[in-house]
Amino acid sequence: MIELKNLSRQFGEMWAVRDLNLTINKGEFCVLVGTSGCGKSTTLRMINRLIEHSAGEIHIDGQPVRGFREDLLRRRIGYVIQHVGLFPHWTVARNIGLVPRLLGWEPERIAARVDELMALLGMSAERFSGKYPRQLSGGQAQRVGVARALAADPEILLMDEPFGALDPLTRDGLQEELLSLHHRLNKTIVFVTHDMDEALRLADRLVVMHEGQIRQQGRPIELLREPVDEFVESLLGGNSRGLKEAALTPVAQRLCHAEMTSGVPDIDANKTLRDALSLMLWHRVDCLNVVEGSESLGTLRLADVVTARAPMGTTRGLSS
Amino acid sequence: MAGVTPAAHSMASAKANPVLVFLMVSSVMAWLVLSSVSVAPNRIVPGSSVGVFGVAGWPGVVLGLLPVIIAGVLALKSSRRQLVVVALLVVLTLAALPLWLALAAHNLVSPELPGARLGIGAGIWVVLFLLLLSVIEVRTRLGLSRWQGGLLLLIPMMSFSAVLIATPWLDSLALRREFVTRSDAFYTAIGEHLLLVSASVGCGLVIGVTLALIMRHWPRLRGPGFALLNFLQTIPSLALFGLLIAPLAWLAANHPWLASLGISGIGWAPALLALIGYSLLPLVRNTFVALDDVDPGVIDAARGMGMTSGQVFRQVRLPLALPVLLEGIRITTVQAIGLAAVAALIGAGGLGRFIFQGLGQAAMDLVLLGALPILIMALLADALLGALGEWLQPGGAA
Ligand SMILES: Nc1ncnc2c1ncn2[C@@H]1O[C@H](COP(=O)(O)OP(=O)(O)OP(=O)(O)O)[C@@H](O)[C@H]1O
Ligand SMILES: [Mg+2]
Repeated sequence: MIELKNLSRQFGEMWAVRDLNLTINKGEFCVLVGTSGCGKSTTLRMINRLIEHSAGEIHIDGQPVRGFREDLLRRRIGYVIQHVGLFPHWTVARNIGLVPRLLGWEPERIAARVDELMALLGMSAERFSGKYPRQLSGGQAQRVGVARALAADPEILLMDEPFGALDPLTRDGLQEELLSLHHRLNKTIVFVTHDMDEALRLADRLVVMHEGQIRQQGRPIELLREPVDEFVESLLGGNSRGLKEAALTPVAQRLCHAEMTSGVPDIDANKTLRDALSLMLWHRVDCLNVVEGSESLGTLRLADVVTARAPMGTTRGLSS
Repeated sequence: MAGVTPAAHSMASAKANPVLVFLMVSSVMAWLVLSSVSVAPNRIVPGSSVGVFGVAGWPGVVLGLLPVIIAGVLALKSSRRQLVVVALLVVLTLAALPLWLALAAHNLVSPELPGARLGIGAGIWVVLFLLLLSVIEVRTRLGLSRWQGGLLLLIPMMSFSAVLIATPWLDSLALRREFVTRSDAFYTAIGEHLLLVSASVGCGLVIGVTLALIMRHWPRLRGPGFALLNFLQTIPSLALFGLLIAPLAWLAANHPWLASLGISGIGWAPALLALIGYSLLPLVRNTFVALDDVDPGVIDAARGMGMTSGQVFRQVRLPLALPVLLEGIRITTVQAIGLAAVAALIGAGGLGRFIFQGLGQAAMDLVLLGALPILIMALLADALLGALGEWLQPGGAA
């Protein structure tokens, strides 16, 4: 668990972060969003003490971070940055094995761990372990960056715009893998991004920051439906929030176990309502067959997509 | 669009290489017009120049020119294969130059005169120079590394050494005669020269890296520090040697233990000090820039992974800075090899001694005996340190 209490950081006269309170539970995926310069990176880097806080407190599992030696603290926290920061003079294997090496692991154990991580991230150890960073594509390099951060099995992973510089397809694949890693490994992740779709897709807890302070935090769906003010509303997409919410809802939730309708397109059950809407628009139909693999589960009707809604307290509609 | 690029590319590669064509045409002209060798009956009498046609008849001259002419024609269409052939022809010509000298010695130097000597004429020097330039041009065009370029030049060097050492054909070469009469002094001078250069670069490196680290740590020292080093660099070498004589002589006179170490106003001490002074600017500047230019993202990651600041420096910053640092060492070494020649003037020994003796006696071949090894040492240092720098590039020579 990470607790930030009345956390502040001043650069000269300017407050980059001011009086910030945030609790991130163990195993939670927390995403920070906000306009450029609102203090996201500063907040992240104060957690592993790359930046020291000027006031307030940071506790990890109840212990203040100031109580640790900086380098020892950082070895316990995975860190991934946008520009990857792989060491260009080291091979992929050596890059990944850095933190275990700093921790003084046996070479055999490091080698085994490196192989394990490369398998975890879907990279062939045989092909990649001897390569140098400049021989990798952006996506491969970022995988290595994630593997390096996971190497010593840290409880916490800090990620600052890790997929910012990647093409949409690669980014999509890596998000998928990160989510499945998160489910399997149950790490506490603090993630910074500018991409709202990415934030909504990944977050358990979404935190909207503005001018060094938190405007609103909560589950993505809560923020979409009940933004506290116009700033949060427009940051989350304004009028396109309907589609963003659809993108968070799996098709299976609106499934109607009716007879198969013939002559309409199929959609996979684990796609989202957004995909379903797009498919309906494209094929000019108002009904889809929901399938899982080759098995048919039922149908999805436009009316159910549009009207039915998971219960969620009072809702604020889209402002026009 | 896609179709344009390969077409444009093949057109570009079929174009003439004007540099090579120019070098080959100039070589042919220099070869034909300038004096090829000079012949003197003894050391005192100035030699008389002989042109190519004096060395060999028409057939010999044309035969000798043939590879250069072919290379020039091939350079008119410089595809890769053509360039490889040009490189081979140039290397062949360079390797054949000692044979041409042997022919000249055989035809022109009378065996009855034991002191008679053969000087290398302007034509051969110019051709040698132009052909070396064309080797560089071909190396760049073919994208060869420094190592591969160096290997190309190894062939002519070996041919020259072989003819010089294994055969008596070039015994009458003036350069060789100068060498034979003072071979002991020659080896001593090379030793002194190398010692002076390596000592000054070594000390300069230690002091320079220290200064660069200090300036990195205290930014306020940067401005004055670089100003001082820049100033040091602008003092002419002879003046700097001269300036050091008085204080060192004074020190030696007042502290006998310094004198007992061999320190005095003239000799190796002022030369070493001056050479160290000159080595500082390029070393400090390159060390400083190299350490400062390391990608901040990489340093951030290193710190973020939990490296201590010492580990960041030793494992990340320094290795990544090494190629640029090595570049500084290369510049400094080449510069010191040249400057150490001047140090002979204040009695520091080295190859410069032959140069100044030769100048004093108007014996150009003695000057050459000093200058040629300096040139070769500089080229070798340049090639070796350059190749080492390429090899140390981050990401390795994979
Ligand atoms: N080392 C520093 N010195 C001075 N000011 C800084 C420093 N680091 C950050 N700042 C300032 O603090 C504010 C917050 O910066 P921060 O990097 O946290 O923003 P961010 O939310 O990560 O922005 P972005 O989305 O552009 O990365 C900015 O106004 C920035 O200029
Ligand atoms: Mg940032």
